[in-house]
Amino acid sequence: MIRLLLPAAGVVSFFLVSLATVRIVRPRDPKRFFLIYAAGLAIGMALVYRALWPIDRVEDALGLVCTLMLQVLACLTMWNTFYSVLWGFSGSLMHDMFNDTALCHRERLIRSYEGDGTLDRILARRLPNLERGGWVDVRDGTLRIRPKGQVVAIGTLASFKLFSLGMGGGVK
Amino acid sequence: MIVRVAAAVAALFVVQALLVASISALRTRGNIYTTIVAVSLVTAPFAAFADRLLFGRALDVDGRLFLVLTHLAAGGFLFHFMTLPDRSVTLRLLVELLLAPGRTLSMRDLSARYGVRTMIGSRLDQLEDGECLTTAPDGTITLLPRGRRLGRLVTAGRRLFRITSAN
Repeated sequence: MIRLLLPAAGVVSFFLVSLATVRIVRPRDPKRFFLIYAAGLAIGMALVYRALWPIDRVEDALGLVCTLMLQVLACLTMWNTFYSVLWGFSGSLMHDMFNDTALCHRERLIRSYEGDGTLDRILARRLPNLERGGWVDVRDGTLRIRPKGQVVAIGTLASFKLFSLGMGGGVK
Repeated sequence: MIVRVAAAVAALFVVQALLVASISALRTRGNIYTTIVAVSLVTAPFAAFADRLLFGRALDVDGRLFLVLTHLAAGGFLFHFMTLPDRSVTLRLLVELLLAPGRTLSMRDLSARYGVRTMIGSRLDQLEDGECLTTAPDGTITLLPRGRRLGRLVTAGRRLFRITSAN
């Protein structure tokens, strides 16, 4: 069971190096850094594991896969928490209402997101990324999905059906 | 040997995914995340005794424990995977475009199908179901203790990671 200390060390390292990166480097796209750190730590852990416990039996191989999965899962959980809670929609709503009591009203809260421009706050943050990433084309106020976006949308639609998620997007 | 273990992990993941899909089809109003956690926990003991089926022989105690932890980790990955189609605004936007005539939408049409009013209304309803807040008939929102804790957590987290704007 001492083998489980390896992913524990990996997860602590991931947290510390990610925190340092976000606070000191302040990258525009932290997830690239998170991905590199998670992959690097997974490779590092696999190398250390094999050096300490050679893969002679199925139990050793299973231990390696298990510790790798636990480490990657914990990294993914931190990463997802970072984006979903701190940067996500529901987290933002709670943050806004907690810090500005004037927004504790359904209509005022909605208006604060609608804004005054042609794009609301939600689209204004996402559309430029979708366009830059080649997922959609935006011309004269019209959106067209590109082939790359269609592949992802079809996969998403399949997940909606398979897991009975309705239309997803956080809407119940 | 690693390939055999990888196949076993894939089998554990697929079995859980199929069980979750089946239960979700039967309980369409149930919470998908509760279903995933329940399926993962309830089936974990079975994973401990799936060694002969997966590897053709009995594993030692450590091997069985690794098998159970691997099974639970597979459930964890399914949980994270589910947040993508279920919660992502970006993926929903892409689906709306895919389903639109000519796979094209004006901003106004997109807002009519999936606009900020719908999104916020639904999120507030979910936060209310989660006992984070209450909404009075006149639209006034009151944060409940759980909601205040969440607001405090997000505020502290954003300060820690120096996030100045988000949504």
